[in-house]
Amino acid sequence: MNLMTAFVAALLNSFDIGILLFIIASGLTIVFGVLGILNFAHGALYMAGAYFLLTLMGTVGMPFWVGVLIAPLGVALLAVLIERFLLRRIYHRHPSFGLLLTFALLLIIDDAVRLIWGSGYHIVEPPQLLRGAASLFGVTYPLYSFFTIGMGILIGIAVWLIFHRTRIGKTVRAAALDPEMAQAVGINVPIVLTVVFGFGAWLAALGGALAAPMRTLGPAMGDTIIIESFIVVVIGGLGSFPGALFGALILGGIHGFGGRWLAEWNIVLPYIGMALVLLWRPEGLMGRR
Amino acid sequence: MLRKLLVMAVVAFMAIGFSLDAQAEGTVKIGAIYLLSGAFSTYGQFAKNGIELAADEINSSGGILGKKIEFVLEDSTGKANVGIQAARKLVYQENVDLLMGLDSSGVAKGLVPVVPELKKPFIITHAASPDVTGSLCNKYVFRISLNIAQNTKAAALIAKELGVKKWTTIGPDYDFGHQSWEFFGNYLKELDPEVVLSADPSFPKFKAEDFTPFINKVISDKPEGVFISLWGGDLINFIRQANNLGFFKQNFKVLMSLGAATEVLTALGDQMPEGIWVGTRYWFAANDTPTNNNFVAAYKKRFGDYPSYNSQGAYAAVYAYKTAIEKAKSFEPDKIIAALENLTVDTPSGELLIRAEDHQAVVNGNWGITKADKNYPIRILDPIRIFPGKDITPTPQESGCNMQ
Amino acid sequence: MRKKIQLGVLLLLAVVLVLLPKVSPFFIVFVATEILILGLFATSFNLMFGYCGLLSFGHGAFFGTGAYVAGLLLQHLQWDFIWVLAVAPLAAAVGATLIGWLCVRLNEVYFSMLTLAFGMMVFAIAHQWRSVTGGSDGLAGFPLTEVGIGLDIVLANPFHFYYLTLLIVALSLAAIYLLTISPFGLILRAMRENTERVAFAGIPANRYRLYGFILSGLFSGLAGALFATFSRVAVPEMSHWTQSAEPILMTILGGSQYFFGPLAGAAVFLGLKTLITSYTSEWMIYLGVILLGMVLFLPKGIFGLLERWLGGRT
Repeated sequence: MNLMTAFVAALLNSFDIGILLFIIASGLTIVFGVLGILNFAHGALYMAGAYFLLTLMGTVGMPFWVGVLIAPLGVALLAVLIERFLLRRIYHRHPSFGLLLTFALLLIIDDAVRLIWGSGYHIVEPPQLLRGAASLFGVTYPLYSFFTIGMGILIGIAVWLIFHRTRIGKTVRAAALDPEMAQAVGINVPIVLTVVFGFGAWLAALGGALAAPMRTLGPAMGDTIIIESFIVVVIGGLGSFPGALFGALILGGIHGFGGRWLAEWNIVLPYIGMALVLLWRPEGLMGRR
Repeated sequence: MLRKLLVMAVVAFMAIGFSLDAQAEGTVKIGAIYLLSGAFSTYGQFAKNGIELAADEINSSGGILGKKIEFVLEDSTGKANVGIQAARKLVYQENVDLLMGLDSSGVAKGLVPVVPELKKPFIITHAASPDVTGSLCNKYVFRISLNIAQNTKAAALIAKELGVKKWTTIGPDYDFGHQSWEFFGNYLKELDPEVVLSADPSFPKFKAEDFTPFINKVISDKPEGVFISLWGGDLINFIRQANNLGFFKQNFKVLMSLGAATEVLTALGDQMPEGIWVGTRYWFAANDTPTNNNFVAAYKKRFGDYPSYNSQGAYAAVYAYKTAIEKAKSFEPDKIIAALENLTVDTPSGELLIRAEDHQAVVNGNWGITKADKNYPIRILDPIRIFPGKDITPTPQESGCNMQ
Repeated sequence: MRKKIQLGVLLLLAVVLVLLPKVSPFFIVFVATEILILGLFATSFNLMFGYCGLLSFGHGAFFGTGAYVAGLLLQHLQWDFIWVLAVAPLAAAVGATLIGWLCVRLNEVYFSMLTLAFGMMVFAIAHQWRSVTGGSDGLAGFPLTEVGIGLDIVLANPFHFYYLTLLIVALSLAAIYLLTISPFGLILRAMRENTERVAFAGIPANRYRLYGFILSGLFSGLAGALFATFSRVAVPEMSHWTQSAEPILMTILGGSQYFFGPLAGAAVFLGLKTLITSYTSEWMIYLGVILLGMVLFLPKGIFGLLERWLGGRT
C-alpha cells in the first residue's frame, strides 16, 4: 500500500467515524440550541439505542432493518418521559443544574443497562446485504461503513429540510429564539420542548443502533461518545446544526489521520483541536454568539 | 436554634459511629476487590462467580478448620486510589481476615506497597504487571495468576517455533500494551537473535473502538508475524474490523496473548477466525483432572457458561487460602503467609507452586489454535498447548524481587 | 441570622472534627481525611464557580499536578513533607497561570469546555510521558518522609495524617474565606453578577478572574498533594475529567452560594458512596437517584436546606 492508498484509507476512515459522530452530535446540538441544556446523558441514550436493537434482533427476532427503525423510537419515548417529568422542572434554573441532572441520568441509565443486559460483551451482526468489504480507489473498506456514511448524509439533509423548509421547523426555531413571544402567538412551547428533546434522543439512539454492527456493546459504551460529541458541538458551534456536521468531520479527520500517523498523540489531539477552536473563535466555527 | 444545633451534633456523632459489622463467630472473612462497575465490570462478575462457587463448595463440606467462609466485595472502579481506600475499608471496617482480587495492573501497583500496613495476606488473581511480584514485592502479597512475563514467554516460544523473523505488535496504548511488547520482544530476541522487531509498532489508544487505521497500517507494513495484546471489548472490535479488511488472510502469523478469553470468544461466536494462535491465563478444557472437571461442571451448572479465566483465578485463590490455613492450622496472618510460601495448590489450571522467593505462582500457560467445533457454541482450542510453569516463569533473581 | 447560623455550624464542625478520631470507628478516620482533602479541592473549585460564576471542567489538571509533583518529590528527592506541600501547590499555580491566562477570556459553557480541554491535556501528559510519570500505572510506592521543621508527625500513622490534614485544610479554608470577604473577593462576586459593569468601573475584569483562577489552582494543587500522600499514589485519573466532575457535584450538592457548601457536599457525596458500596455493586444507580432527588428538590443544596431548617421558627 503506497501513500496514496493510505491517504484514501484514512479519508474513508475519517468519514466513517465523522458521519456517525455527526448523527449523534446533531441531536446534542439541537437540544442545546432549543432547550439550553447540555445533555450529559446523550451518550447513555446512544447506548440504549444499541442495546434496544440487540434485544429486538436477538430476543424478539426482528430483522435489522425493522429493528433499526424501532429501537430509536423506543429510546425517544423514554426521553419524552424524562423531559416531561424531570427536565421540565429545572428549565428556569442555572444551566449547571441541567448538566447535573443529566449526569444523574447518565449514572442511572448506565447501571440500568448493566442490570438488564448484564456486564458481558455483545455484538450485533450487520444485515446480510452489508457484510464484507468493497473497494474504492484500491482501498478495501467495510461495506457497512459505506452504508452508515450514506445514511448519515440522508439524515443530515432530512433534518435540515425539516428545520428550514417546514412549518414544524419554523415553530421550533421560534420557540428557541423567544419562548415567551412564541407562546404569545399561540405556539405550545412546552410541547415543542418535549418533542425536540425526544428528537434529540432519537438521533442519539439512531447513532447507537447504526453503530451496533460495528462496535462492541458493553457497559458504559456511551461514555467515550458523550465527550466526543461535546467536542464536536463545541468545535462546530453550540446549537448550530451545520456546525455539528463540520465539527464531526474535523474530529473524524483527527481520528482517521491522527490514528494512522500520530497514534501516540491520539488521546489528546481532539482536545488540542477543541482548545484551538475555542481560543480562535469561542462561538465555534459555524456558531453565532 | 441552640436546640436544633445540639440535635445536629448528636446526629453527627451517631452517623459517624455507624454500625460496625459485628463479625459472626466461627467464620473466616474474605475481602475481595474487583472491577464491579463500568466498562469492565464483566471481569468483576466473573471473579464474584468464582469466589461464590468456591465458598459454597467449601462451606457445604465443613468449611476451613470448621469455620465457614464469608466474603465481602468492594469495587476498585479501576482507580488505584479507590482500590486502596477499599482495602482499608475491608480490613478496618469489615474486619476481613484475608484479602484477594485486583484486575487492573495500575490498581495493583498502587495497592501492593500499602498492603504491609494492613497486615493481612493478599492474593492477586488477575492483574498481570510483573512488578507486583518483582520490584514492588513484599511479604504480604501473592499472585496466583499468570503474569505478563509468563504469558509472553510462552508467546515467544511459539513465535520461535513458527520460524518467522519480522515481528510487530498491535497493543493498547497504556502500560500493559507496551510492557507486553517489551517482554515478548526481549524473550524472542534471546531465543532467536536474528529476529527483527518493528521500530514502528502500533499502539491504538485504549478503548479506541475503531482500529481500521492500524489494521491497514500493519497490512501495508507486511510483517511476518503480529503479536496482539488487545483484550476484552477492544479485541472484539479489532477482530471484527480485521475480518472485514481481510487481516487474517494476509501472509503473516498472528499471536493473540489474550485471545482465548471466554468473554471474547462468547461475544464473537463464529466471527472468531480459525487457525489463529491465542493465549489465555486458563482454558477450561486444558486439564483433564478431577479438580478441573468438577469446577467446569459446577460452574456451567450454576452460571450457564464455560468458566472464564478470571473466575478460575478467584476460585483458585479461595482454595489456596483453604490449603494454607489447613497447613498452618491457624488463622493468624503471619502463619497463613508462612504456609502460602512454597505451597502446592491443586487448581483447575493444574497444580501450581507459590514460590517463597517472590510469591509468584509457578503456573501453566495455556495457548492453542482456534477451531470451530459443533459441540461448542464458541471457538475452542485445538490443539491445546500447555506450557509448564517452570518453563515460562522467570527466576526470582530475574523478577527483581527483594523480599525483606 | 445567617451569620449566627454559620458561626454555630462552624463551631459544631470544629468540635466534631477534633474529637472524631477519639469516638469513631478506625476506618471513619480515613473517610474523614478523604472528605477534608476533597472538600478543600471543591472549595477551591468554588472560588471560581461560586464567586466568579465560571464553571471549570478541568480542575483535575491542578489537582493532578499537585499529586504528581508531590509524588515525584517524595520518590526521587525524599524532601521533608512540609517542603513538598509548599512546592506542589506552587507548581499547580504555575500551571493555573498558563491555563488561566487563556481560559479567563471566555464565559459560560465556552470556559467550561476550554478548561475541560486543558485538563485532558494534563491527563494525556501524565498518561503518555512514561519515563517520568510512570505512564498509565502512575507513581506508586513512593516513601513517606518526615514532616520536617522538628514536627514529630508520622505520615503513615492515620491519626497523625488526619490531624495534619485537618490543620492544613482549616488554614487553607480560613485563607480562602479571608480572600472572599476582602475587596478582591467582592470584585469577584460583583463580576459574577455583571461582568460588564465591573469592567466599566475601570477594573480589569479578566486580570481579576486570572488571579482568582491562580489561587483556585494553587489550593487545588495543595489538595492534590495531600491526596497523593493519603492514597500513596499519583495516577493519571487524578487529572481526568471524571475527577474534575467530582468537585462540581460536591459543590452543587452542598450549595455553591455557601462558603462551606462544597465541604458539606464532599461529606455527603463520599459518605454516601462509602455507605452504598458496602451493600451493592450497583452503587451508581443509587447515587444517580439520590443525585436526581437532590437536584430536583434541593436547589440550594444541603446548606440551603440547613439554613431553612435552622432559620425557620421553632
